[in-house]
Order: sequence, then C-alpha cells, then structure tokens
Amino acid sequence: MAGRYDAIVIGGGHNGLVNAAYLARAGRRVLVLERRPRVGGAAVTEEIFPGFKFSMFSYVVSLLRPEIIRDLDLPAHGLHILPLESSVTPMPNGDYLGAWADHDQTRLEIARHSPRDAEAYDEYGRLMHHMAHAVKPILGMLPPDPASLSPRDLAGLLKLGRHFRSLGAERFHALFKLMTMSSADFLDEWFETDVLKATKSASGIIGTFLGPRSPGTAYVLLHHYMGELDGVFRAWGFAKGGTGAVSEAIAAAARGFGAEIRTDAAVTHVLTAGGRVTGVALESGEEIAAGTVVSSLDPRRTFLELVDAADLPAAFADDIRRFTFRGSSAKVNLALGALPSFTCMPGEGPHLRGAISISPSMAYVERAYDDAKYGAFSRRPYMDIVFPSMIDPGMAPPGKHVMSIFVQYAPYHLTGGWNDQQREALGDAVITALEEFAPNIRSCIEGRQVLTPADIERITGLSEGNIFQGELALHQLFFLRPAPGWARFRTPVGRYYQCGSGTHPGGGIMGASGRLAALAVLADGA
Amino acid sequence: MSRSDVIVIGAGTSGLVAAQVLARAGLRVVVLERAAMLGDAPDIGWVPEPVVRELELAGAGLAVATPDPWLSAALPGGGRLDLMRDVARTADQIRALSARDAERWPAFCARMRQMSAALEALYVEPAPDPLTSRAGELYRLGMLGLSVRRRGRQATIDLLRTLPMSAADLLGEWFESDALIAALAAGGVRHLCQGPRSGGTAFLMLHHHAGQPEGVFRPPRSNLRRVLAGMAGPHIRLGARVERILVRGGRAAGVALEGGEELEAPVVLSTAGPRTTLERLVEPGWLDPEFARAVRNIRARVVTATVTITLEGRLDSPPVVVAPSIEYIERAYDDAKYGRVSAAPVLEAHADGNQLVVAAQYIPAAAALEEAAFGAQVVDLLAPHIPNLRAMVRGVRVDRPAEHEYHGEMGLDQILFMRPVGGWSRYRTPIAGLLLAGPGTHPGGAIAGMSGLLAAREILGA
Repeated sequence: MAGRYDAIVIGGGHNGLVNAAYLARAGRRVLVLERRPRVGGAAVTEEIFPGFKFSMFSYVVSLLRPEIIRDLDLPAHGLHILPLESSVTPMPNGDYLGAWADHDQTRLEIARHSPRDAEAYDEYGRLMHHMAHAVKPILGMLPPDPASLSPRDLAGLLKLGRHFRSLGAERFHALFKLMTMSSADFLDEWFETDVLKATKSASGIIGTFLGPRSPGTAYVLLHHYMGELDGVFRAWGFAKGGTGAVSEAIAAAARGFGAEIRTDAAVTHVLTAGGRVTGVALESGEEIAAGTVVSSLDPRRTFLELVDAADLPAAFADDIRRFTFRGSSAKVNLALGALPSFTCMPGEGPHLRGAISISPSMAYVERAYDDAKYGAFSRRPYMDIVFPSMIDPGMAPPGKHVMSIFVQYAPYHLTGGWNDQQREALGDAVITALEEFAPNIRSCIEGRQVLTPADIERITGLSEGNIFQGELALHQLFFLRPAPGWARFRTPVGRYYQCGSGTHPGGGIMGASGRLAALAVLADGA
Repeated sequence: MSRSDVIVIGAGTSGLVAAQVLARAGLRVVVLERAAMLGDAPDIGWVPEPVVRELELAGAGLAVATPDPWLSAALPGGGRLDLMRDVARTADQIRALSARDAERWPAFCARMRQMSAALEALYVEPAPDPLTSRAGELYRLGMLGLSVRRRGRQATIDLLRTLPMSAADLLGEWFESDALIAALAAGGVRHLCQGPRSGGTAFLMLHHHAGQPEGVFRPPRSNLRRVLAGMAGPHIRLGARVERILVRGGRAAGVALEGGEELEAPVVLSTAGPRTTLERLVEPGWLDPEFARAVRNIRARVVTATVTITLEGRLDSPPVVVAPSIEYIERAYDDAKYGRVSAAPVLEAHADGNQLVVAAQYIPAAAALEEAAFGAQVVDLLAPHIPNLRAMVRGVRVDRPAEHEYHGEMGLDQILFMRPVGGWSRYRTPIAGLLLAGPGTHPGGAIAGMSGLLAAREILGA
C-alpha cells in the first residue's frame, strides 16, 4: 500500500489513543491526529492558574478497563492511581452521611441514620456486585444485531441469551429492573433514608438529561457501579498528575509500540474514493494517505462533519441526526488559598481526601433537574467535589489547593443561549449553593474557571458538551449505539471505523470502545 | 356452606371473561362483586380477538366503539385540533398547525401501527418467559421472535428502540407542533406517575394504540361487561365483599365474606389487584419474604381522579383533551413528584349521555384535595372548549381511588414477564389454587378481558 501509514486515528482522546496503541501493538503503522496542542481530549491536566493544575474536565478514574491497563502496561508508562477513600454528603441540618473505604465503618454510619438501611445495605451491595458482574461480559462484547438473521448475529444473540439464563431468575429480573427503572424507584425498594437515596441516585444522573425519578437512570447507576480498579469493584481514584496523566500514559504506550502522534493537527475531512477511505485532509490543507481511518470523535462529527453526506445511506444519516446529546453538566475549577470548612465537619479532615457530594435530598436533586427541563441551569445544582491537591500535592503550590466541582444540571440548550454573563451567573450559583454547606468558601477562592457545556463543546469538540459523546439512554445503548446496524465500530464507508464513547459500551474513561474498535479493525485484516 | 369449583373475586371484564370460560368448561363458578350494581359505565380497552371468538361475543351484542373524532385537543389560544379516524382528514386538520407535521402524519401512523401490532401479538398469549428451558416455551419464544422479525428489519429495530423512549422524544422526532405532540403524549402518561419526558412513556402510548386502526391513539370503549353479565353460566353475586381468602395447608380453600359467610372452592381467581389480593386478602405468613417483598415493591401510585359532571340534557361532544403543550403536562407531573395536586391538571373528558366523565391527572392519592374547588376548576378548564358546557352543569362529583385500589403502573419494569412480579406472570401465585387476573397482570390495563381468558386457560390446564 502506498503511504507511510496503515491507519490514521482522528482524535487523541483516551479512546483514540487506546485504539492507536492496540493497532500499533499489532504491528500497524499508526498516526494519531489531535486538533489541540496536547493529547487527552476531555482527559487532560492543565495549569489554568500559575501553579494550580487541574483535571480540567474528567476528574476521576475508575472505569478504565483492567485488560487495557495490563495489555498496554500503563503503570510502566507512568500511570499511578491514588485511591479516593470516602464520600461525604453534608446535610442542611449540620449532619452528614459518610461512606468510607472500610465497609463496616460505612455500615455503622448508615446505621446512625437508619438501622433498617444498614441491614439492607449489605444485601444491596451484594446485588449490585452481582449485577456489575452480570453486565461486564456484555460491555466487552460486540453487540449482536437482533434484527439480523446472519449466523454471526444469531450466535451472538444465543450467547447473550445463555448469559442471561445463567444468571438465574432472581438476578435476571433484578437486572431487567435496573435496565428499565428510575434510580429513585429502584433505591426506594431498598432504603428509607432520604439523604442516602439522594447520594446514591446522583450517580444515576451523571451526564444524562434525566432526573433521578426518570426511568433509565438506574442503568447509569449501574454503569458507574462498574468502576473497577485493580480488580476491586466500586473503587474510584485519581491519577497522579491529574487525569491528563492517564492520557499521557496511554500515549506513551502507543508511542512505545511505534505509533506516531501529531498535535495541532485538526482533521477537516475524511477522503474517500469509490466508497472507501483513502486518507484525511487537515485544516492546513495537508492531505495524509492511509488505507484505514478510525474516528474517535462523537457520531455527529464522525459522520455529519468529516464525511460527505453523499457517502452515507440516507437512513443511516437520519439515524445519526436523531442521536441525542443534550449535554447537562458543567465544571467549576477553583484555585484555593485555603481549604474551605464544611459545617458538618469543620476544619481539615479525612473527608477532604475524598469526594463531597452536594445531594442533600431526593427533592433537591430532582428540583435541580426541573430547572434544566425548562431551559435554565439549576439554581441549586447537584455537585460532586474533590480536592486533588489533598492526595497529590503537586497539583497546587505549597499550602494551596485545587478544588474540582462537577455541576449538574447546566443544559446545553439554555434559554437564550450561553454567554459570558450566563457563565458567571452559573459560577455564582455554584458558590452560593456551596456556601450553605461551607460558609467560608468564597473567601478561600483565588481563581475560578467555569466551563459550561458550550465551553466543553468548544474546547474538546464534544457535541453539545455531552461528556459521554451521546446520552447513555436505553434507546442509545448496545446495538443501538450509535445507530442500529452499525454498533460494531464499522461504518457504511469502507475501512472507516468509529472508536469513541459514542459507540458501545460508551461513557467514562473506560477505553473499551477504543480497544474493541481496534480488534474490529484487525479482524478485518487491515 | 356452599361449594363451587372456582370462586372469582371481582366482576370486572377479566373476572367475567374468566368465569364465562370456566363455566363453559363445565365448572361451577361463582363471581363475587362487592358493588351492589354492575353499573353501565363503558369498558375502556381493546377487546382482543381471542376473547371475542372464544365467547362468541360478536353474536351476543358486543359493541366496540371509537368516537369520531376520537380526540379533540384544546389549543392554547382557543380553538381545537380534531383527530379523526380517517388519516387523511386528520392530516388536513393538522395542516392548520404545521404543514410539515401534516405531511408526516400518515407515515407516523403507519409506523406506530406496525409497532403496536407487535405488542398485540405479545398480548394475546401468556407473557414470554425469557428464562425458560422447556422446549415448548422455547419454540413459542422463537415463533414470537419470528413474528416480530417477519414485519421487517425496520420494524424490529423500531420496536426495540422505541419502547424505552419518552413519548416527548419519540414524538419530537416526528413533529414540531407542540399541541399535537402533547395531545398524543397525554396517552403515554395515563395512570402513570411519570411525565412525558420520562423513559417508557412511548411504550405506554403504543400500548393504548393496541387493537386500534392506524391513526387512533386512544383505546376503544365497549359494553363488554354488560354482555358478559347477561350470559348464562356463572353465578354472579353482587354486594358480596370478600374479606379474606382462606388458605389451608398452603392451598387456597375458599373465601370469607364480610359478615362472616364462608364459601369453599379449591380454586380462587382474584381480580382485586395483586397487592390487594396478596397483602390484604391473604393472611400474612403464607408468602415467603422474597416474594412478599417483590409484591410490596409493585408500583401502583394513584395519580388519576375521575370527575363526573352531570349535565342538563345530552352533550354531543367528541372526547376533549386539555394538554396544550409538553411543558404543561410535565409541570403537572412536577407537582405530583413532590406530593401535590397539579396546579393545572391534564384532563380528558368523555361525554356519555347526560354525563361528562373526566379523567384528571395528576392527583396523588395522599395529597389533600378541596373537591368542590377542584370540580369547579375542571369545569373552568373545559368550558372554553365545549360550547354551552357551563350552562348545562347540574352537578360535579370527584372520585379518587384509594391507594390500594390501583393495580400497577404500566412501566417497562412492570410489564410482560415482570407483571405482576418477575417470574410470576402466568397468573399463578406461590399459594396453590390462588390465581390472579385483571389489569395488574399481563397484558395489563386497557386490554379488556384478556388476562381473564389467559388465567382461565391456566386453570383448565390448556
């Protein structure tokens, strides 16, 4: 074949890098093209204020597939995960609900709120553990097409059927409920303590345009439960050096296998001839030839921007057009001169080494959603807060700290649109809501960066700022992600592949899409 | 003490269908109905072909009707959008709101019909058991799969993709007119404690389309109960309120009525609702804790009140829906989420002789309701859309079902093999001889009589 490269990967986010690493590992000559000056996509570490480094967008690691960590030997390339050991939810009455690394301690803490819930907690934990195990093989599977009668699809369906049957009736029914219920209804079946349900249900809304009472959120709850770190379920952590260090480690692994990575290289077009890719065109006008092109961008960009509409079947283009994004999350990054003091746990303490969840009640979280439903950002948003400098002091100047605040809901389709004024108003709302639980927060702030979904879209390229490259809703999962018939990383254009989170299984710093797509490319004999 | 072969609790459509089927098989059947009269309110729901055929209802005077227009949507700025049985005429009506929507209406109707047809195939048989290892059941599963697949690739994908969607999202893919979208979406939240943006409401909209022709998205009405009550065979006892189901040695043995009378039978079929039956009529202790928990977790939140407006003379009006926009319905639901009555409720009014019967949503069972003021509010909301209504009103009555009287929400996690609870969709319960039928069992509400037929077949071992 002519040209220096067998394959070009568009986009140097974690999935693009994982994809390139696997292709290079199999001996392919691979070029990664990244639009920004650095790799990582939404998994980047940047020094936003002098001396203060932030995991600008994505901020915790847990879903990264262990087989990827092993296959690419990421620890050898600098990946070091520091565990996040606790989660504390402050309550308006000055009390709190804590969850600690130690199971018995957490149980005691829940018993303080409700002995009945403490009883249920063990059983709930066991169920979720089983459910996560039940879903895991599906995440690593090429989704069979249920409408196809090809032997391969039928075999896939049969395998899926056998898998479900092997769970037994009780677990299968529980899984079915998790797939279809709202997290609020699901948790209502187990617990009575409002703040416990609120905190747990919050992980079911992350990245979605749904409230905790909306069906479909129980699945997202499970999706986040699948965090697997060194084989331990439900362990979240930071990467030393920030989330960008994860990307750097994968990039180093890819380079180690011989992949080439170019930054400041924005692809504007995928070149085709006779229904097959021939290479890509860059913003600079440069054209690079390759027999295989893999896009890690979201489905909208992959198909509606990079490719000529004429190269796609009309029905497929329609399917991609109706794939929904509706970004709903914002990020506030604070440079702190001092640590804030939370009313429920004054002063410094171990709670600042873990996550602080602002989800004091089910009604609080649901109301936050109500605002967004009608086109406003939440006046009192749900927030997930971490202080990375508490665990990794290198992230801030000595004695100072960085604070990362994940904020929901901030709808991409804000009434009147996002502008500088709205961005600052969102930042103010976040600080005001925080003051309720940490009254001195305002005086600690030395710098504030607010990233709205419009900012996330502008900087990372994620359409509508959706952190999962497309809503993780039941009708956009598995064989429907991103479009029916095209959920196996191939596309209607010959030798053009997709490997972003907009494909199965999607979402989080998981890398599964990048890996599965690489296996699909290799299976096709590239 | 009298003795029969089967006691049926409740003389609703499913109870009467079951009783009729069992009596025809030669069993002595007694139907116990707590109400003193059967009343003549129409039965809402599709009467599936197997019910009509098995009981030869066509020759017995069964009348199933859908008004034309089947729905008249009150438009926000006054005026109405009439949705007719005729697809082309409806498109003409829609054209006043959006030419683009009018163009799309026929294709939309065809696609929805195709999907509802797949649901219908699932509804006239026992719910498929995805975990079965029995050859016969696997064969049936395969045939069901093929019957869906035969409708074409697009239909299969459509169905699987659409069921978990929200009605607002599904309709938003087709239409731009909020009034049209809301009128259709209101059918996707009926009796459901969810708003039109909640997942699974697209399914419920299609569920209410079952058995109806292209372009009609509300269930028909019939005189099914009247016809069944007039048939010979089972003994129907009115004013007989069951207080307890007798269980001896783990088996159903009969029932005890209010007042102390006991009736014996080796089989009891209850249509009183899964929770009422298993939690209130059966002595606690007969159910193992796992099963009892599953029953306790059946979601059956009452959100609909019935407002009956008595009129001076007959009112000639198509059914009127007051749901002018998705946001209107969604806000009505927001109130219910926090336990309040909707400040501006969603209404669907059906004229029936000299009565106007209005389903009002969302009215949570536990919320306080000033009934007189609420009745007046309902009249105020309807008056601009029904000429002369205000002058005709003679009386307004508000009925709110008690929390336990509702059988079970039609959420995706509570249908098919999950209805009433996972693994117990074949009408049996862990208590031998005690079976369930009615809207709380497969195929759910608004499918008249079918659960009774399927439960009777289970009893007969067919």
